[in-house]
Order: sequence, then C-alpha cells, then structure tokens
Amino acid sequence: MGNEADSRLSQFRKGVVELAILALLHRGEAYGGEIVEKLAGHPGLAISAGTVYPLLSRLKKSGLIDSAWQESPVGPPRKYYRLTAGGATEYEGMATAWYGVTDAMDELLEGRTAR
Amino acid sequence: MNARQEKPARLSPEAAGLVETYFGRVHGALLVAATGECEETVEDLRAHVYEQIAETAGTPDDVARVLADLGTPEVLAAQCADLGLESSDKQEVAPRKPSPFAGSVLGLPYDLRPPTPERIASRWWDPLNPRILVPRVFGVGWDVNFGAVAVRLGLVRPDDEDVPFGSVPTSYLALAVVLPVAIAAVLAVLIVLYQSGLPAQVPVHWGISGAPDRFDGKDSALVLPVLMTVFGLVVVAGAWLGQRRPLSRVAAGALATLFATISTSVYVQELAAAAGGRDDLVMFAGLALALALPFALLVTLSRIGRAAEVRRDLAKKGDLS
Repeated sequence: MGNEADSRLSQFRKGVVELAILALLHRGEAYGGEIVEKLAGHPGLAISAGTVYPLLSRLKKSGLIDSAWQESPVGPPRKYYRLTAGGATEYEGMATAWYGVTDAMDELLEGRTAR
Repeated sequence: MNARQEKPARLSPEAAGLVETYFGRVHGALLVAATGECEETVEDLRAHVYEQIAETAGTPDDVARVLADLGTPEVLAAQCADLGLESSDKQEVAPRKPSPFAGSVLGLPYDLRPPTPERIASRWWDPLNPRILVPRVFGVGWDVNFGAVAVRLGLVRPDDEDVPFGSVPTSYLALAVVLPVAIAAVLAVLIVLYQSGLPAQVPVHWGISGAPDRFDGKDSALVLPVLMTVFGLVVVAGAWLGQRRPLSRVAAGALATLFATISTSVYVQELAAAAGGRDDLVMFAGLALALALPFALLVTLSRIGRAAEVRRDLAKKGDLS
C-alpha cells in the first residue's frame, strides 16, 4: 500500500473515531483512559491512545465536548468529558449521515463477504 | 477558534434543527471524503450562516433559503475537501503546507523554514502525541518530544492540561526564568572565581571516550559557552517580553536551561581537566543534567498546571452543591 493510500485510510479513520467518541459520550460522561479502553474494545476501529487524545482536544476546541475534573473513588481526580448541547446535535446529524453512507455502501458492496 | 457562534435566541427549534442537520450532513460527507483538514472552515461557515439568518425573520423557510444558497451538504463538503490544506487553520502549530524547504530525504526528515517559538515549543512538549522522536523544527533529523517521554514514564497524562501550561499561575511560570538564570549565575560565579587560575591552554572538546581531543586558549574557550548561555537567556526574555503563549515561555526556559547547563558543565570540565580530575565523569554527568533539568522543569510546571485545573473544577463543583 502506498503512502497516499495509507494517509487516506488514516484520515478516514480519524473521522470515524470522532463519531465513535461522540457516540460513546452520548451514552454518558467518561474520562480519557476509559474512552481509550472502551474504544480499544472494538478492534475493528484500530484505535490507540495516540488517536483518541488529540481528537478529544480537537472536539473540545470546537465546542462539541466539554471537560471537568472530578474526584475519583480510587486514586487522584480524573478529567471527565461530556457532550455539550451543540455536540449532541452534531452527533445526531453525523449519525444520520453515517447511516446514509453505510446503507449505500452495504448495497454497493452486496455479495462481498467480510474477511 | 472555540468561539462557536451562538444560535440567535429567537430561532425556533425547528429552524435551528435545519441548520444543525445541514452541518451534520456536511461533517458526515467530510468524514467519508476522508478529509479532516477543512473542519475549521466548516465551523466558520456555520457561524456565517447564523449571521445571515440573523438578518432574516428566522423562520424555517428563511433558514431553508439560506441553506439552499450553499447547495447540498455533500457538494459543499466536496468543494471544501478540494480546497483542502490551504484553508486549514493558520493557528495550527505545524502547518502541513507543501514547501520545498520541508520534507524528507531518504527517510530523514528536514525542515529549513524559519522556526517560530510556537513551532519549537509544540514539538518539545506535545503530550498528546505518543511519538518520542519528532521531526526537527529546524535542520535535519529529530527532536525529543519531552511530553511523550513524561506520558510514557507515567508522570503526566496526555490530557492533563487543556492548554499546555495554560493554567499555571504566573508566579510558578517564573520558574522557567529563574532556573536558567540561576544556572547562568553559577557559570558566572565559577568564571569569576577560577578563570585566572586556569592554564593558558584548556581542553574544549572531548571525544566519545571522554578523552579531550581539542585544546584552545583559556579565554577564547569561554566564548562559545558564554554566547550559548546568553542566547538562551535572550530567547527567554523575547518570549516573556513578546507575551508569547505560556507553552512558548516554558519551552524557551527549557531551551535556556539546556544551553546554560551544557555551558556550565563544559566549564566545570575544563576546571576538572586543569586540576587533573576525572573530566570524563563530569562530561557524562553534565550531559545527563542538561537533559534532566529541562525535562524536570517541563514536567513540574505541567503538574502544577494540572493541579490548578483540578482546584478550579472541584471548587466550581463545591459552589454548586
């Protein structure tokens, strides 16, 4: 695979991970390590801490998520992330767009079995 | 950048929903077009749309008309993706604009664009980036990302600080001035005390084995260490007087600490050689300190910043309850 294909793939995954993070936070607030761990539980996404943290920072900068330190029952305080009102709306819009795309792709890829 | 345009208050949920759904589709299409770069542009556009709507009565029909002018979200996203890198945020610390002065040759990265304090600073302290070796800001090869080292060692977490050193109280930020100045002062005192007692010829360069391989007159040998130290302090002064971001000020302090420590250790090495002592031990100790001190400065200030954030958030929560 060439460099360009590599970088396209990584760009694509970045967008998907963004939606994945929003979806996760839509279920409830979570701290960084928890988000990394939960997303790592989906090997298909191929997500590492190196992908998640820069995205959290970017989502926060664009106002879709917010963070605050909270006491932890074990150990030092943790920084929890949650969706903002704008983030919740964005999540709905992105999720709708996502289904539009996957439905179309399912049709186009019909007959091809997953490896 | 984080100034997200507030929706006009009088906009009905239905009208606002139209806008948000539209931009949700733009984001969805961008996601599929595999371009993460133009989201800033889309945010600007969203703000612009709200401004335009503010000039109308804000009914769902008005909103639909404004959005219709933009074309379908998918086409808009495609146009934006074509503009691609050019429209990416100019504040971005590492612009990826293609330049003949930056790239890689035979796998070795190089960058000959004039370095800005911001770019240097964000390479040296970028805890979000797990890579320890990052392409050098200026020159050929790699720099050390101390932030990644600190994360790897468990000293900080990647997301400890919202903005690197952004919450550190100024009185603590001053550590980034005090430390290099103190080391420079040690060098000055050593020079005053011992310079006259040095032999005419002193070693100025040591090989990998630790044995001296170049000598120079004792006074001309002073030029390089002193210049290096002064240069570091000038960078610090520039960062503070130029009211650079905290990250740049701290990184300038780390750079000055590095330079002052190397200079001081070279001078101590000369003194040790003149006294017939173990100058090779001094060299290795000096090199270790030259890395350890800037690292300690960065980690300490980052942890102070985290503590300040924690205090702020927990106090806010206390107020609510």
